[in-house]
Amino acid sequence: MSNNIKYWKGEDELNRNPQFLTAQKNEFHDDLPLDEVFNEDAIELQANRRDFLKYFGFSVTAVALAACQKTKIRHAVPYLVKPEDVTPGIANYYRSTCGACSAACGIEVKVREGRPIKVDGSVDSPISQGGTCAVGQASILSLYDNERLANPLSNGAEQTDWVAIDAEITNSLKKIAAANGKVVILSGSTHSPSTLKAIESFKTSFPTTEHVIYDAVSYSGILDANESDFGKRALPTYKFGSAKVIVSFGADFLGTWISPVEFSKGYAINRQPAVAGGMSKHIQFESAMSMTGTNADFRFPMRASQEVLYVATLYNYIAIAMGAKQIPVPQQGELAGNSIKKTAEALVKAKGTSLVISASNEVEVQKIVNGINMLLGNYGSTIDMVNHSNQYQGSDKKTAEVLAGLKSGAIAGVIFYNTNPVYNHNSKEWTEAIKKASLSVSFASSKDETAALCQYVCPDNHYLESWNDAEPRKGTYHFTQPTISNVFNTRQAQVSLLTWANALVAPAKDPFASKGIFSQKLQASPYYNFIRANWAATLGSDDAFNGVLEKGLYAVAADEGVASYTGNVEALASYVSANAKASGVDMVLYQGIGVRDGAYANNPWLQEMPDPVSKVCWDNYVAIPKAMAVKLDIAEGDTVNVKVGDVSYTNVPALIQPGQANETVAMALGYGRTHAGKVAGSVEKGFDTIGVNGYAFVNNTGNRSFVAKNVEITKGDDNYSLAQTQTHHSIEGRDIVRESTYAAWQKSPNAGNDKPATHIYTIWEKPEYRKDGSPNHLWAMAIDLNACTGCGSCIVSCSIENNVPVVGRDEIRLRREMHWIRIDRYYSFNSTEGVLTKDTEIEAADGKGNFDHWQNVNVLHQPMMCQHCSNAPCETVCPVLATTHSTEGLNQMTYNRCIGTKYCGNNCPYKVRRFNWFRFNDNDKFDFHFNNPLGKMVINPDVTVRTRGVMEKCSFCVQRIQEGKLKAKREGKSPNEVQVLTACQRACPSNAIVFGDLHNPESEVSKLHKNERGFTVLEEINVQSSVKYMTKIRNNDSI
Amino acid sequence: MIHDSIIRDRLVTGDKTASDVTRDIARPILNNPSTAWKVGFTLSLIFLGIFGVSLLYTLFTGIGVWNINKSVMWGWDITNFVFWVGIGHAGTLISAVLLLFRQKWRMSINRSAEAMTIFAVICAAMFPVFHMGRVWVGYWALPLPNGFGSLWVNFNSPLLWDVFAISTYFSVSLLFWYIGLIPDIATIRDKVKSKLGKTMYGFLSMGWTGSTRTWARYELISLILAGLSTPLVLSVHTIVSTDFATSVVPGWHTTIFPPYFVAGAIFSGFGMVATLLVVARKVMNYENYITIGHLDAMTKIIMVTGTIVGIAYLTEFFIAWYSGNIYEQYAFTNRMFGPYWWAYWSMMTCNLIAPQVFWFRWARTTPWFIFIMSIVVNVGMWFERFVIIVTSLHRDYLPSSWVMYSGSLTEIGLFLGTFGIFFTCFFLFAKFLPVINMAEVKSILRNRE
Repeated sequence: MSNNIKYWKGEDELNRNPQFLTAQKNEFHDDLPLDEVFNEDAIELQANRRDFLKYFGFSVTAVALAACQKTKIRHAVPYLVKPEDVTPGIANYYRSTCGACSAACGIEVKVREGRPIKVDGSVDSPISQGGTCAVGQASILSLYDNERLANPLSNGAEQTDWVAIDAEITNSLKKIAAANGKVVILSGSTHSPSTLKAIESFKTSFPTTEHVIYDAVSYSGILDANESDFGKRALPTYKFGSAKVIVSFGADFLGTWISPVEFSKGYAINRQPAVAGGMSKHIQFESAMSMTGTNADFRFPMRASQEVLYVATLYNYIAIAMGAKQIPVPQQGELAGNSIKKTAEALVKAKGTSLVISASNEVEVQKIVNGINMLLGNYGSTIDMVNHSNQYQGSDKKTAEVLAGLKSGAIAGVIFYNTNPVYNHNSKEWTEAIKKASLSVSFASSKDETAALCQYVCPDNHYLESWNDAEPRKGTYHFTQPTISNVFNTRQAQVSLLTWANALVAPAKDPFASKGIFSQKLQASPYYNFIRANWAATLGSDDAFNGVLEKGLYAVAADEGVASYTGNVEALASYVSANAKASGVDMVLYQGIGVRDGAYANNPWLQEMPDPVSKVCWDNYVAIPKAMAVKLDIAEGDTVNVKVGDVSYTNVPALIQPGQANETVAMALGYGRTHAGKVAGSVEKGFDTIGVNGYAFVNNTGNRSFVAKNVEITKGDDNYSLAQTQTHHSIEGRDIVRESTYAAWQKSPNAGNDKPATHIYTIWEKPEYRKDGSPNHLWAMAIDLNACTGCGSCIVSCSIENNVPVVGRDEIRLRREMHWIRIDRYYSFNSTEGVLTKDTEIEAADGKGNFDHWQNVNVLHQPMMCQHCSNAPCETVCPVLATTHSTEGLNQMTYNRCIGTKYCGNNCPYKVRRFNWFRFNDNDKFDFHFNNPLGKMVINPDVTVRTRGVMEKCSFCVQRIQEGKLKAKREGKSPNEVQVLTACQRACPSNAIVFGDLHNPESEVSKLHKNERGFTVLEEINVQSSVKYMTKIRNNDSI
Repeated sequence: MIHDSIIRDRLVTGDKTASDVTRDIARPILNNPSTAWKVGFTLSLIFLGIFGVSLLYTLFTGIGVWNINKSVMWGWDITNFVFWVGIGHAGTLISAVLLLFRQKWRMSINRSAEAMTIFAVICAAMFPVFHMGRVWVGYWALPLPNGFGSLWVNFNSPLLWDVFAISTYFSVSLLFWYIGLIPDIATIRDKVKSKLGKTMYGFLSMGWTGSTRTWARYELISLILAGLSTPLVLSVHTIVSTDFATSVVPGWHTTIFPPYFVAGAIFSGFGMVATLLVVARKVMNYENYITIGHLDAMTKIIMVTGTIVGIAYLTEFFIAWYSGNIYEQYAFTNRMFGPYWWAYWSMMTCNLIAPQVFWFRWARTTPWFIFIMSIVVNVGMWFERFVIIVTSLHRDYLPSSWVMYSGSLTEIGLFLGTFGIFFTCFFLFAKFLPVINMAEVKSILRNRE
């Protein structure tokens, strides 16, 4: 029935009106107004308001679209086969070994999407113990250095084909072998068992080969002394962690000497006043003001050229006390205030737990030092000669023989591995010598001074691209595994040697290689197979080997016993007598903390890292004592001419260095590179050389002497402004850093920190999130001024983690460094009138014409970063709320809201805010790693790269906090189990920085915030800083 | 009701009639520009060019072309800002406050003083705008409804108060000035010969007829605007001073700043008015309108405000010592004897000591001497701002961050360039608008004060 129901629309349809039916067939009731549209004349006339708006809208849109620039096409290529171990956004960590110096710290490499982006210490490594130095931190950038050689060089020309080069070199080697000529492999200190095996394999094929080790900064003195005293040419393992009295003659063991990270970790333990057995006492005798010297409880200036006399005197005092024979010398060298005698007393009191070291390269000095340690019974407790260190092995004597051999033609072929004698030895003679060799090969990864003279340069991989092992200490093995495939067409040096020797183990058939799977492909590398074969006896199974790789460490049980001592110190009497006199001015040539021996001079992070003592970046200079400056009329900004023998430099910047011993000057090595690159200088590429080469002053006869004697210093006729990050050096008597002495601390643990609490009146209630028992986190930091040595590792680590731009020398001259963390360094002078902390007092004392107070300096290091104030002055003044407070106590910076009024920076009492004065990325004026695509690979993808015109500052590594929180949440842990280490804390080699949650009463930071030593800087202005500093306790009541 | 006192000098000398006034004052507008005007205007354009070049260089390269640094983040820029805002104070004071106090001598100088105010505020505004690192998003400092989510401005920030204070001051001053101009523009409209002139002045005069009703409204609106402007005279520099006073920087954190800044502003404003009028009355032959009596009155104000400022300086010192706060004490000792001692002593000499010469009648009545003194006053006031901003920032709490600062060429260029803006505007004003309020002056031709 329902089918029959009919509906109609109107009467027309019902009646089937014919007109209606016709019309119904047309889809459009009216004709389309096509005529009107296509008739141009009609448009203007007939355009009504709505049409006008349509035309208007269309044209505006069209114009706008046409005006839009074509956007840059960016490619994002997804993985076709997702590698098993790469998850975008999630970092992988690989254990490896730092290759920045031969100390060989165990490290942990952070890899994001196949790019290594951060290096930190491995907690399992007995060398690094989780810490890193600035150089290790910065070494990652050398991986992404676009000035590395992209291909091997043959007679200066780039060759992409390794096979051709290999053929040429092999031919040369065979020719030399046929003529029974000698080949030398001159390498830096090498303690990798597999590398040594590879060299042995090379020697098997070419039996006339000799392997000679040469270190830019020599430890031959200690090595030779130990060879004669213990029958073993090795450095001992120093255990600073067991030493309660440390006496160092010129050794910067916290900064550059042998294994600074290892030593800092050990040293820090006993610098705690609360440590079992009491706080250690550190006595430093030195000419130049070293970073280690700044940390000493007692620091006595001495003339470096007379060190042997002072060491002998110390020996004799100890010998008297111990009832042993003295060195029969007529002169008794003593320094002001009987300091050597008092030092001897302190050492004797702590015998068995003391440690005496010297940086001297004189064998005789080192023999006496050995004698002192022997008398004190330190062998077996603080010095381990049985489980010795392999970190430095160079022989100055053999290096000199190589040079002579090359010059005379006795050596026909030379291979330079990890060494650059043309720069850091006798430059002129090496230049001539290399030209005489019939084969010269360098493994340098860039065309350095030596490589530039070699016939072939076979660029070595960066250590992050390499397989390797290392034995920094006898029985302690570290492993290196690649974290990225080769960036350039480079080849590991060991592979080159094995190829030439035809001793390469054939790569095993790798079923995955064809599938392009990352890890398996690398494992198939020939050197991996070589290492596996080398370790087959102990780590044969995959599980065993992989287990060791994962930990980065393989250790065999330490040997017991004490090395037998056969030294005879008395025999040195005549040497001491002959060398006891000093004349003229001494110059100490030392390694700077940043660029060290110069191998990493082309690394902008290290150039920009201020020297921990002088705070100078981007230059070396002659450090002169105040008395000399006054005598020569040298002021800040002046230059000096330096002359030693027939070597001279004119107009070298001068720096008046407090603590510099009178009649001595000092200059950092590692500068004056002529073939480094755009950062440190390159003659070839036309980049100015930074600083002058101090190696020119090194006396290369015998054991190389890093103390130049009879130095002539005159005032230069030029001015030079050094780029310093800190230009005011006294604390002006302000209560910014608190300090006390150990004796006072023993009486009361709040010694030095017992000022009555500031009365703070506030009408505001504590915010909810700050109250105890609040469920959120409350992030805070604690910094132990007793632990901090000022080394600057945190500065570099922070720059890497947070993509802090490098700004260069000129910007630092304008006081515009961008570092988020800095280390404030204050001097105070000890004078007869007490401690001088104000410039006015110092000037008054200077006016008396006696500058002894400039030699007797106390130094404070205070790491300073955003204090994340609860009442942050920066937050209230921002007109656009670009900086705000989080409910976890963080002072946050919203870069993309910032309009750049800089008011926050002015109102920050700690002056930790940094402004982006320019666009620091993609800007040719700042041609560092941010200006090239390869260098940008090091950028941390978790942190925004800031644009021009915005303010930035320390964020307490908010990205790491977030990561830690997410991880804990994912794993179902409680908030108290969130693990966050800030970048500065992670890098610190002395555990000075502690970060954590104040709402977790069990956290270390909570405990430290309640510690009696804790104080906040500028408490009286009630900004409620979140960073507590632990009062500095000096053990300097009496020697 | 006209009082004619024989004790006081006439406000307008030279027995001028109403038609003399119109003729004298409209002369530069109706005639071709004089050589002096052409030379001055060209010079101003050159300086304007310097401003343009310096500004473009800054905008394209970054604020880094200035020498401000990690500790001294405000330097010449904000010094110049406060300097110009200060200069912009006299105009409103003269027209509004003196109007309310029925000081009739103001009538022949208020027009140019107000014009000066407006131009000075334009110059001042350049600095807070272009000192921003990202000036292209500078409008975020305005409380504009937006699509960025819940983003809003921070009403706690003195910089935001500045935005309101200065824009209010500028708009009220502009309005006040323009309303005052209307009757005179109408007079010019009736005199000018060219068609373009007639159209332009006709448009600008807004149909002024000169009827009693329009005059009554004119008087009323002037009074209302004067009432509105008076608090602004005090508020603008008070708020500018809070940029410093609300901070924690030693040397800035001072409650004396608001009155001290206002006094300083009036001081420098009158200095600038004196500079301009001493020259203008001579060059434009307005000595009968801007009489020695005017100069005398202005110099007295300069002396009084200069002394107030000087006392404020001394009070600051006393309080710094009395506070027992070592940071404050150091900040003030550092001003006197630190590396910027020359800036401090220039300020003291120019602002406190130099104006004391106006105790002498000769000094108050000798135009060339007043001209020199007016320059001295403004040099001193520039140094005052430099001393407050730079010497406080360059050595604050932590000695590790103590730095030195000196302006770069670009910063100097921008400062000189603002004189280009100022004088270009002023010369255009002198050419195209009556620099003396004809209508009002006509009402006091027989007045003695």
